[in-house]
Amino acid sequence: MKDRRGIVIGLVAVIAAAGVAPLLSAYPLTLLTQAAIVAVLAMSLDVLLGYTGLPSLGHAAYFGVAAYAVGILATDYQRGFLVCLVAGLVLATLTAAVFGLLAIRATGTYFLMITLALGMVVWGLAFRWVSMTKGDNGIAGVPRPELGLPWSMGAPLPFFYVVLVAALVAWALLGLLVRSPFGLTLQGIRESDSRMRALGYNVWLHKYLAFVLSGAFAGFAGVFWAYYNGFVSPVDVQLVTSVETLLMVALGGPGTLAGPALGAALIVFLKNFVSVYTKRWLLILGAVYIGVILFAPRGVPGAFRRNR
Amino acid sequence: MRTRAFTVLLLATFVAPLLAPPAPAAQGAPIKIGFLAPLTGPFAQIGKDMVNGTELFLDEIKREVAGRKVELIVEDTEGQPSTALNKSRKLVEQDKVHLLTGGLLANVGYALQPFIDGAQIPATYPVIAADDITQRKPAKWIVRTGWTTSQPMHPFADWVLKNTKYKKITTIGMDYAFGYETVGGFQRVFEEGGGQIVQKIWTPLNTNDFAPFLSQIKRDSDAVLALFVGRLALQFMKQYEEAGLHGKLPLLGGGTTTDESVLPQMGDEALGTLTALHYSQAIDSPANQKFARAFEARAGKIASYYSEATYTNMRWITEAIKAVGGKAEDRAALLAALRKVDIKDTARGPLSVDAHGNPVQTIYIRKVERVGGKLQNTVITSYPAVSQFWKYKAEDYLKQPLYAREYPPCKACQ
Amino acid sequence: MGAPTWPPSPQRSGRPGEPGAPLELALRLEKVSKWFGGLRAVDDVELTVRPGERRALIGPNGAGKTTLFNLIAGALPVSAGRITLFGDDVTRLAQHRRAALGLTRTFQITNLFPSLSVLENALLAAQALTPAKFSMLRPRGGFGELDTRAREALRAVGLEDRAQSAVRHLSHGEQRQLEIALALAGRPRVLLLDEPAAGLSSAEAHLMTSLLRGLDPAITLLIIEHDMDIALEVAQHVTVLHYGKVIADGPREAVKADPTVREIYLGA
Repeated sequence: MKDRRGIVIGLVAVIAAAGVAPLLSAYPLTLLTQAAIVAVLAMSLDVLLGYTGLPSLGHAAYFGVAAYAVGILATDYQRGFLVCLVAGLVLATLTAAVFGLLAIRATGTYFLMITLALGMVVWGLAFRWVSMTKGDNGIAGVPRPELGLPWSMGAPLPFFYVVLVAALVAWALLGLLVRSPFGLTLQGIRESDSRMRALGYNVWLHKYLAFVLSGAFAGFAGVFWAYYNGFVSPVDVQLVTSVETLLMVALGGPGTLAGPALGAALIVFLKNFVSVYTKRWLLILGAVYIGVILFAPRGVPGAFRRNR
Repeated sequence: MRTRAFTVLLLATFVAPLLAPPAPAAQGAPIKIGFLAPLTGPFAQIGKDMVNGTELFLDEIKREVAGRKVELIVEDTEGQPSTALNKSRKLVEQDKVHLLTGGLLANVGYALQPFIDGAQIPATYPVIAADDITQRKPAKWIVRTGWTTSQPMHPFADWVLKNTKYKKITTIGMDYAFGYETVGGFQRVFEEGGGQIVQKIWTPLNTNDFAPFLSQIKRDSDAVLALFVGRLALQFMKQYEEAGLHGKLPLLGGGTTTDESVLPQMGDEALGTLTALHYSQAIDSPANQKFARAFEARAGKIASYYSEATYTNMRWITEAIKAVGGKAEDRAALLAALRKVDIKDTARGPLSVDAHGNPVQTIYIRKVERVGGKLQNTVITSYPAVSQFWKYKAEDYLKQPLYAREYPPCKACQ
Repeated sequence: MGAPTWPPSPQRSGRPGEPGAPLELALRLEKVSKWFGGLRAVDDVELTVRPGERRALIGPNGAGKTTLFNLIAGALPVSAGRITLFGDDVTRLAQHRRAALGLTRTFQITNLFPSLSVLENALLAAQALTPAKFSMLRPRGGFGELDTRAREALRAVGLEDRAQSAVRHLSHGEQRQLEIALALAGRPRVLLLDEPAAGLSSAEAHLMTSLLRGLDPAITLLIIEHDMDIALEVAQHVTVLHYGKVIADGPREAVKADPTVREIYLGA
């Protein structure tokens, strides 16, 4: 039942966004675009945090690796959308596959710390591998992709619709995933991995698969992020991005997909609008987070408790 | 309950932008200037200085230029490129500003460049110093009113060669582009003039303890060139003295190592440090004295190059607006005027622009001294009309790679 | 890992090359020990259980019963000794691999999936040993066979009416029943029951006893039970553990009559 409510609220949000988009001026439209991309990132993390009970603090890594792949291929090598998309997805997936090998054995706080450390490794690479990433300066001038559609992606409206469709595809796939037997397995692991082992599940393997899939979807978001900003920098892979994503999931309610997606949109808009009206916007955002942690029945503390 | 509160919050944030009134763009309406600065996060203090410098100048001209009101819209970048991009979009697309200015960090500068050129909005960078923005990757719509990182280091190396006996220098600096360009600029001129960089040490941006790096410094160097910013500058100075190096190995530095945003918090350990920058709060000119006093009265702290940069930047912008007769809507004309500004009496001295959009200005060689109980960057000498290309031809200069961690290569290092 | 071998194939019994084993044993422990630092929680335990046998494992608190279960199930590695399951050496096999061979267990402290529904709990058990658990893009509803099997397991313990309830809303007694249902849904050959009646009222315990007695006789049962009445009602054979050692082993009457057992356990 709760599932269905999430789908309904999510669909209403998507339809409303698609409907008002043509009426909006460029700036709110770019924010909607950003919200849709970040929503995919939040949903990808939700698979880990909300469904599998693994609180990752390194999710910006896969997001960022894909964004860098697009940034480098689209500028230095002038590759088209398809090459960039595939390269971004493959690299993000491979990164998650390697990091998963190192992280999955750990649980709870240790898992948090290891993913944090691995995320820092990617950040360090982005920062120090200057010949590839341009270091701190970042990769600027990533052109919007040509998709063979009659509309130029340089204009905010067509690009928004493309991103919205991509986000819907991601939502649908993730929705199927969590409703499949595999998705049930992940929830079982979240609830009790000792019982899962007794029943005959290779818990490590399922966690690992969830970790890699989650990374792949984070990469999917990262691909569009690079095109959206036209710019990729170490900021995209830094800890703050990972933490913010974690908070988006916590805000929207882990284990619901639509919730974290809306949480992501909410934070994007809060950040950009509250800050216009008051310098104390960080305080307000902080208060929102604390409120969620204290009052949300299935917020961050819940996820940690389950994992102990 | 929670769901309802969530829905209300959701509606509020999504609907709010729709209710914002569209900006009228008629003549006679105020000229809008969008200003970006980090107002939260680790660079908030500097961001505040930048806003104060800007506001100070606007107050002096009563917020009016060429018969039109000037409206300043300040946005917080959090020191992050993606936030800066969002805020720039908001300023240009929603607030319809006539000009975009501000920014502190190099990565913000690079991130905004394609957007600014794409939106064809006149823009100025008062503080962002990354060399390539006016060199190998010039932006059509951006005029720099500040400086390039390596600009003061070329004359500084020249001065060190001619006025000291230092021939072998060890450099130690922060491990990122700003550090590379500072050290690189110095190294090139210094080595072409017969000096040697014998060791280059790079310290991570999150260094908490400099002792391991300080112990590496070759004790037979003639001097040490240090490049640090903010908290790291304070800590480096302290540890340099604690390691017994103060007074033994003379200390040279990039301008930020002793700039006035950190200098008041330093002690005797900073005395004698030689640096170069396009500004010093101690410049003894009427224009600077007036600015420095007014700023101190307003902000309750002494002026730094950040506040001077934005103060003079705003003056630069108003000169350009005057030149187009207040028609800030004519973007191409405004840009052209920004690129033609020539002011003789700014706080930092005479200013003009080169063909690449970077100021040609005086570079000050400075020494930390205690005057009237307070530390200051006393001006020892100055190099007038220094271009970002120093004495090289622009075309030749631009054929060289950008200064980087490994460029120029350290030939005398073992 | 293949599909589970259920029902057990008759060819597997009477394995050649094992003289003196007229009938293959369901479970065999040889000199199994577990040390925690200096403590010998399980000490040189020998245990043989024939297919279809009902065996009770009793002993005072701290006798090492649950530790022994953890060793058999594979939740803990043994310090020494050998465990065979239907003739296969499983001593070094991971827990889920042993489950795939038909060995499953329940928990003394209820160990379910509290925020999932009763049916989802049973489904997790039903799909555990099938390739369907890797299916990622088909909704759960599309696996009718698993659904049937899950509902069968629920019916076996009398929980079919509660299929849609969240587990955390079940009474303690119902949760203990679900513990059994989860173990049954995987169609085990050897079932380790760790105090199935823990915390139950006498009426609920009675219900549990008849449930256990009604289980498929082909399933080999090993029961830890604190309540002697329940243990002796379900099992014909009893093994008594004391300080990690087997001190008595045999038909229930014989064990009941054993003076040592009476002294340390029954007599008190």
